[in-house]
Amino acid sequence: MFSRNEHSSVIRALASSVHQTKMFATFAVRDTEQVRLEMDDRQRHKAQNIYCTKPTSKDLEQLKRYRDNNDRRSREVVQIWEDTISSSIENLGKEKHIVLEQVCIAAVDTFRLNIAQRCIQELYKDFPNSSRVKILESMVYEADENYNKALHVLNDIIKQDCTNSAAKKRKIAILKALELNTEAVKELTEYLKTFMADVEAWQELSEIYINEHDYGKAAFCVEELILHNPHNHLLHQRFADIKYTQGGIENLEIARTYYYQAIKLNPKNIRALYGIYLTTTAVLNSQKNLPQKKKDSALKVVDWTLKQIKKKYSDAEALEDIQECLAALEI
Amino acid sequence: MTADLIVDPQIRFWVFLPIVIITFLVGILRHYISILLSSQKKVEIQQLADSQLILRARALRENCGYISKNSFLIRRQAFNKEDGYLTQKRPPVTQNMMTDPSMMTDMLKGNLTNVLPMIIIGGWINWMFSGFITTKVPFPLTLRFKSMLQRGIELSHLDASWVSSASWYFLNVFGLRSIYTLVLGENNSADQSRQMQEQMQMTGAASGMPADPKIPFKAEWEGLEIVEHQWKLADVERELLQEE
Repeated sequence: MFSRNEHSSVIRALASSVHQTKMFATFAVRDTEQVRLEMDDRQRHKAQNIYCTKPTSKDLEQLKRYRDNNDRRSREVVQIWEDTISSSIENLGKEKHIVLEQVCIAAVDTFRLNIAQRCIQELYKDFPNSSRVKILESMVYEADENYNKALHVLNDIIKQDCTNSAAKKRKIAILKALELNTEAVKELTEYLKTFMADVEAWQELSEIYINEHDYGKAAFCVEELILHNPHNHLLHQRFADIKYTQGGIENLEIARTYYYQAIKLNPKNIRALYGIYLTTTAVLNSQKNLPQKKKDSALKVVDWTLKQIKKKYSDAEALEDIQECLAALEI
Repeated sequence: MTADLIVDPQIRFWVFLPIVIITFLVGILRHYISILLSSQKKVEIQQLADSQLILRARALRENCGYISKNSFLIRRQAFNKEDGYLTQKRPPVTQNMMTDPSMMTDMLKGNLTNVLPMIIIGGWINWMFSGFITTKVPFPLTLRFKSMLQRGIELSHLDASWVSSASWYFLNVFGLRSIYTLVLGENNSADQSRQMQEQMQMTGAASGMPADPKIPFKAEWEGLEIVEHQWKLADVERELLQEE
């Protein structure tokens, strides 16, 4: 069994591995995605010999698919930009601006600041006063760790339009990058007073609280997320993780219920299965004088989970299955 | 009886086609004018916060079964207690429409691009091309359609499937929508019929005006008071284990 601290670090590792929104975490590259990225990269290089330098509709479709699915495949996007689009921006037609924005964020993500600068210049040509472009500009400063300049740009935007939520979020992201967690929490709660239904912000707040080991508050934030999106198994699983980490018989019971819910929503969720195993054994170990009936049922549950996990692993030999499981891990 | 009625081919070139072209061009013109005149609506931060508050309260009401009873009660208390989120005291919104200058200009612009051209062009077409029979619908119609299709022509013996010039204009006004989408793209402001619908709604709710938040707040408050917490996860363990 994990000790409390070990387990919290596992949660934290998971926190960074679960999908984070583009607005917040620009710099963290996820492990699971990296694997996939490299696989896809190889496939792309094969394909490149066939396709030449004009932005084919295929490339544009690919970009559109990333946008629609909210996929964060920054390396691939930058690759497409370098291969085909950069030499012929004018041929993009209607999609020009949205593609430029996408490439810009991807470039910031992969620290290709000159590409990002160029996108911003192109965008400024068409929208000289757009706050959306200004936010991109601040993101480039931010990636360059030039936080003062970034803050300056963002403050200007907020001064002009106090309802600009994207700028406010970026300010919080800067605080987070500077590791001023208490400040970030303060700003985020202030932000959430106005934008109460902003799911991204709730998620971010819960993650900061987890990092600060303030599990009660983190649980509150995750409950808020569950209210807004009750059919996402990862949220239930996260809530259970937090409750398990908090410890205590009651919390363990709650954690187990939520692990069950996560499995009900997605039977492939191995972490939740293992969570049931852990919570049940924890209950068994902590309470010495458990009634025999309860003990029996708990032992049955332990048995069941172990069998399930073994079965899942013996099933998951083919590569496609692993890919599917990885895909199931995204919020 | 009307088979022998032959329409002068000149009418085609000097009435029928001009009406189509004029309505089409006016639509395009209106699209660009409204782009030129459009002003970004300023959203008040308070208004934004109110709408988000209602969203959150609704989410709580609908999905409360997924969180434990305790958490639900905490939240409901925060929303519904004395001076909670939903019962907070606000200075009453008695912002008069007429005293707010931005509201006035907005209304003026709306009239400028919607009502005025409608009156002017319609009147002009009525005056310029009045009394012509322009075309015939290729199917017989009952007498009731006469008032719709033969505006401006008072002939009791004329077959109802003939269309007068004024009616042809109105058919064009309402029928060019798909062509505008083809030419100007989605969400253009050339289409008059859509704008008229909007105007209709506007008179009811006075769009853009900060509506009094008290009314939706009250509704949400009642909803939250009534809703009963049913813990949806109570049986999930048994369900899953029974499957085996």
